[in-house]
This record gives sequence, C-alpha cells and structure tokens, in this order.
Amino acid sequence: MHDLISYFQAIVLGLLQGVSELFPISSLGHAVVVPRLLGWNIHQNDQYFLSFLVAVHLATAIVLLGFFWQDWKRIVLGIGRSLRDREITDADAKLGWLLVVGTIPAGILGLTLQDPLRKLFASPTLAAFFIFINGLILFGAERLRTHAPGAPEDEPDEDNRIADRVSWKQSVSVGASQALALIPGISRSGVTMSGGLLVGLNNEDAAKFAFLLATPIIGAAALLKIPELLGPQGNGVRSQALVAAICAAISAYLSIRFLMRYFETQRLTPFAVYCTLVGAALTIGFILT
Amino acid sequence: MTKNRQLIIPAVILGIVLIVIAIIYWVSTANGLPSFFPGHQAGSSTHHVKHGIAAFLLGIACFVFAWFQSGPTRSTAGTAAK
Repeated sequence: MHDLISYFQAIVLGLLQGVSELFPISSLGHAVVVPRLLGWNIHQNDQYFLSFLVAVHLATAIVLLGFFWQDWKRIVLGIGRSLRDREITDADAKLGWLLVVGTIPAGILGLTLQDPLRKLFASPTLAAFFIFINGLILFGAERLRTHAPGAPEDEPDEDNRIADRVSWKQSVSVGASQALALIPGISRSGVTMSGGLLVGLNNEDAAKFAFLLATPIIGAAALLKIPELLGPQGNGVRSQALVAAICAAISAYLSIRFLMRYFETQRLTPFAVYCTLVGAALTIGFILT
Repeated sequence: MTKNRQLIIPAVILGIVLIVIAIIYWVSTANGLPSFFPGHQAGSSTHHVKHGIAAFLLGIACFVFAWFQSGPTRSTAGTAAK
C-alpha cells in the first residue's frame, strides 16, 4: 500500500516544524510551501496531514514546557498564591496572569477561526505572500520598537522584567496577535516577539514572553486534536507522526536553546530579511509556474 | 490591579450566562442552537464543541475576575501589580 506520508517526508517535516515553529518565520507557511517546492503530494487541508501535524505540535509544546519548566513552576505557584490571597502582589503571579489574559483572546479566536482561515489561505502562493508580509512585520517591529519604563535592564530576572514592563492591556494585545498566525505564512512567535518589542521589551524578554505565551496555545490545540490522530483519520500516518514528533522535539530543543542565546544580543532583522526575500521569490515563482 | 466592587455581580452574572451558553453548545446540534447563536445551521447535526469551550473559558475568566475584585483592598499592593 502506498504510504500517505513516507518516513523520509516525516523526518523532514518534523525537523522543519521544530525549527520553524520557534524561529519567527512561520511553521504553517513552511508546511504549505515546502511540500510544493519538493513536489510532494501533500496538501495542508488533507485530513490525514492535519492529524499528522497534531503529533509534531504536541512534541513542540512539550519541549517548550520542559525548557521553561522552572519558570512554569514559579508561574503556577504565583497564580496559586494570588488566587488564595485574591490579590496579585508578586512578579510570578503577575506574569502568570499576563499569560492567562494573553492566551484567552488567542484561544477564542483560534477555536472559532482556525478552520475557516486555514481553508481560505491554504494555497502555497498565498502562504509565500504572507511569509513576505511576515518579514515586513518583523522589520516594522524593529523599526518601531519602544523602551518602556519599568524594571531596569540590569534586573537579572527576565520574568521580573516582563512582569514589570507589560501591562494587562498590552498582554491582551500581544496575545491576541497570535491569532494572526492562523494565516499560513504569519509566524506566531514572530508577531508575539514583534508585539513584545512594541510594548517596550528587549529582544531577549520579547522572545521569552512569546515562547511562554505559545506553550499553552500550541499544547491545547494539539491536545484538542489528539482524538483525530488516534481515530480513523490518523490511520496510515500514526507511526510516521511518531517519527516526526521525535524529530520535531530534537529540532525544537536545539532551536530554543539557540534562540534564547541569540536574542541576548541580536535582533529580528536576519529573520525579517529571510522572510521578505524568500517570501517574495516564492510568490513570484509560484505565480509564474 | 484596580479593585472595583461594583463589577463583582455583573462579572458573576456574565460568567453564569457564558457557562450556560457553553452547555447549550455542547448538548445541542448546530440545528438545535438558537438562531442568534454563532454556528446555528439549519439541518446540521454537528456539535460546535469548540464554541462551547470558548464560552466556558470566558465564563471561568469572568469568575476569576470577580474573585479578584472581591479581595482585600490594600493601600500598597506591591510593585508587580500595576
């Protein structure tokens, strides 16, 4: 029987997902564009492919959770303390509730708009065009970045800096911007990092805030769709999905390690250049062919 | 966070309404939903589980908001809670 997805394709797609989910270049956009570039007969809206993607998303979410495990422990304990005291008095609690208020709009928009937007924008040409737009967003964020008042740059704890600088309204805005990533080509981490820069975070803190915001959304979206992978829709792709999930976990771990070090000193500009050039070239190429 | 005790009762009522809406989404088919509900579709046997989850989460958020508004008011709430 002809496999829906080969093991080679699963390895490539898994590695690609782990990198492109965390780098601000759009995993969904690359998942649409790369199969077309390689001549693979895989389409974004095929049910088996959506089921396949569940596993790689879950793997990425688990890696994110594990990488920031100490932060999540502090955050959950802080939320617990604040609920007990009915008051938010420390930075861990504030960061935890910032993540909650940022996740709610993204979650609701994702739950209600994911399927229609995915169907509307699933063509490789549109995905390539939106990768180009994603590049412009990253350029714009670096250009328009602000320096918010709050904790000084020499405050050693990133979580404290984020909690001190981001307001409730700003967290809602940054969190809601994740919904833009429902459009293939727009990067979730890209728009949230951009949002972080616009509200006054430095690149390192914006990246960490983006990764913390992404964890519950990616994890919840994957968990909601696990029944599809385990049900009849996952027939023929489950073992490939497992291989892809392992590859995605490895590449996600290496990516996040690299990015957290990279953003200590560097900016979004190289990713903006990549997205605008590759997005423009692919858009023109797909239109012409 | 600024406390406003006048918001407690509206938040609780809104939370209850949203939880009820969530239950309606979970137990009714798209055909059985009231016509003004997003997702209503005549003749459809689909359950809009995701719409229900969204309404449920919003309802919980309203309860949490009311919980914090009902907490003690202090003059110095700490630097983190701005």
